[in-house]
Amino acid sequence: MNKELEHRFVTELENNQNIVHKVCTLYTNDRDSHNDLFQEITIQLWKAYPKFRGEAKFSTWMYRVALNTAITLYRKSKRRVQTQDYDSVIFKIKTDEYDDTEEKQLKLMYKAVRQLGDIDKALVFLYLEDKDYAEISETLGITEVNARVKMNRVKNKLRTILNP
Amino acid sequence: MTDELELLKKDWQNKEDHLPKLSYDEIYKMIWKKSSSIVKWIFYISLIEFVFWAGINIIFSDPESMQELKAMHIYNVMMVLNFINYAVILYFIYKFYKNYKKISFTDSSKKLMKTILDVKKTVTQYVWFNLIIFTVTLIISIYGVFIYGPEGKKIIESATQEGSETMFWFMIILISILFTAILLVLIWLFYKLLYGILLKRLKQNYNELKKLEV
Repeated sequence: MNKELEHRFVTELENNQNIVHKVCTLYTNDRDSHNDLFQEITIQLWKAYPKFRGEAKFSTWMYRVALNTAITLYRKSKRRVQTQDYDSVIFKIKTDEYDDTEEKQLKLMYKAVRQLGDIDKALVFLYLEDKDYAEISETLGITEVNARVKMNRVKNKLRTILNP
Repeated sequence: MTDELELLKKDWQNKEDHLPKLSYDEIYKMIWKKSSSIVKWIFYISLIEFVFWAGINIIFSDPESMQELKAMHIYNVMMVLNFINYAVILYFIYKFYKNYKKISFTDSSKKLMKTILDVKKTVTQYVWFNLIIFTVTLIISIYGVFIYGPEGKKIIESATQEGSETMFWFMIILISILFTAILLVLIWLFYKLLYGILLKRLKQNYNELKKLEV
């Protein structure tokens, strides 16, 4: 029974591992932290797996657990990441002012997203994953209206970061 | 902003091919790692603790205190005790390390559960050993102070002059026992705090494994 459960879990995680990798990409800055977070999410998923009864899609459930883990861990090391990136973004905007090729713009966007708070980041992440508001609200455990309002605020925040 | 986000979305979804890809085995190993990190901490803490106590011991091993120990005729027995203490503690550290290695390479829940129980047993033995060695050291010290120490002699003399020698010894033993008991409780609490949290987490992990087993 145990072996079977293990096998089912690992297979499903192997097939859906992109979700976890993407969360890690967004919430960490280097390879080591990426791997650590992946490991932590895997453990949390495995712990919660016996309670997963298939009432949601496996992937939706994964989004929820992965984001929760990332947010909880991220809270512990919040300051370190934020302040550092902020200066470099301002610097970047100044030097790149006349160069608005797509690539540069994307880089700035990614940097801006990295600067967002934990929950905001989760929202943007689900948006980038092309989830509709119904799924976003289900994953984050908020109402659909709330998700919309929050998303609008995040857009404003991004605007402020990009055009200080 | 919406345009920029759309652009980002497109790029984000194209990035999918560049994500790392872990194999089945790599993921499989990961689900057993939690206990290993707790056991690793038990090993580290035991090392830190060892260095801490050894450090304190060295600081108080100045020639003057050595002289005092000799004057109280307990120098030899203390040295032997010290030697036994370090030998046994090093043995425990070795066992903690072995447990850690064992748990890192475990790949079945059965073995993992067994190792967790082993770890618990080792920690309990370790704490007991520390409590016992502490008690013995304390008893020898009290004995030394009263029989050979200058203050002890004075106290005994005045007590004998007042007459009730039996009563005096009775009181001494009682106070010593009380004193030792209080210190023991304090040390026990210290260990409970130090290793208790880690052991509790291990226990939780064990229970989770057990649930999966059924």
